[in-house]
Amino acid sequence: MGLGFVVGVLGVLILSHAAYSTIQYRSLLKITEEEFSGPPMNVVVELILGLGFCMWAALTVPGKFRSIVPYSDDNRVVSLPANMDFMIFNHRGKAFPLDVDMKLK
Amino acid sequence: MELVTMVSKTEEAQVNRLENQVDNGGGGAWEYLCLVRKLKLRRSDKVLKHGLSILNDPTKRSSLGPEEWTLYEQVAIAAMDCQCLDVAKDCIKVLQKKFPESKRVGRLEAMLLEAKGLWAEAEKAYSSLLEDNPLDQVIHKRRAAMAKAQGHLLGAIEWLNKYLEIFMADHDAWRELAEIYVSLQMYKQAAFCYEELILSQPTNPLYHLAYADVLYTLGGLENLQTAKKYYASAIDLTGGKNTRALYGICLCTFGIGQLTKGRNKDDKETSELQSLAVTALEKDYKQTAPGNLSLLSSTLRSLKLSS
Repeated sequence: MGLGFVVGVLGVLILSHAAYSTIQYRSLLKITEEEFSGPPMNVVVELILGLGFCMWAALTVPGKFRSIVPYSDDNRVVSLPANMDFMIFNHRGKAFPLDVDMKLK
Repeated sequence: MELVTMVSKTEEAQVNRLENQVDNGGGGAWEYLCLVRKLKLRRSDKVLKHGLSILNDPTKRSSLGPEEWTLYEQVAIAAMDCQCLDVAKDCIKVLQKKFPESKRVGRLEAMLLEAKGLWAEAEKAYSSLLEDNPLDQVIHKRRAAMAKAQGHLLGAIEWLNKYLEIFMADHDAWRELAEIYVSLQMYKQAAFCYEELILSQPTNPLYHLAYADVLYTLGGLENLQTAKKYYASAIDLTGGKNTRALYGICLCTFGIGQLTKGRNKDDKETSELQSLAVTALEKDYKQTAPGNLSLLSSTLRSLKLSS
């Protein structure tokens, strides 16, 4: 959790730095009156790194994924709930009374 | 309509672990009771014991807040199930004091009459409750259950059919009807109910399995072939972790072989499926019950499925 969060913050910082560099580069182009041919190398590297960090953080920080396959332990139905609405009390449990000291005080 | 509850493998393990912990005095009784309620399990003796221990402790009880009344209801029903009618009566009395006009408490009172075996009085109580609210599903269901408790299974079927004409989407009722039909050996009718259940919950392997069981019991070539397909789909949905479905495949293959006496067209596919099922069974037994492996192989030999 801690590590993932730090990496996520780092990723966002790198992305913001990339944005800042881009703006700076644009104003530099205006001053030198050159045509825009492509983003500078450092911005591309920062974008890729930022994307990687943010993605990794987004996948690890919120928690574990739940399985969607029907036969995983989370989804595999092993027993049906007791049909409580149709519960009847006239069963053989009558013959085996529980401890007598059960009482609501 | 209430939510569909199904008990998954993880939840089963969780509830068993909690039960063990509570039984050994490790605390967590309230979490256990909540889980039992959520999963709709019928562990009345434990619910009664641990629920009473909370209710009899004023500090624990008041810390529950409004959930306290839910617990009274839960314990009352558990007490009826354990024939501790005094406890049930006391719980209902407390609820009656708190909610004097409540229909839900009225239902509990009628259930107490049922637990005492006073059928006529209970019936009267239910009818008067129905007069106020003719579409109360639970009370309609209680009438069917009451007929069943008195041994009038045909009467219960009649109530259920009437009920299902109005509330067709109630899968619990379909399941109850299916189980009653099976207990009366009315397999065709039971098969119809299981078809409904599969339609409403197609991903639940237990309905596929039950439907296949009914078809296998009905017998006949066509039914056996269909049963085999449903066993196969149950295997598909459980990832091969359901032993009964694996055995079902073996038995269906044997039955089909008996009926066709070798005049089988799709022989190759059949033998492949069955040998896969046999392999899975053998692997499962080797892992979980190596002592019974010889029993399995002799069974399979008698079915002529392995040499």
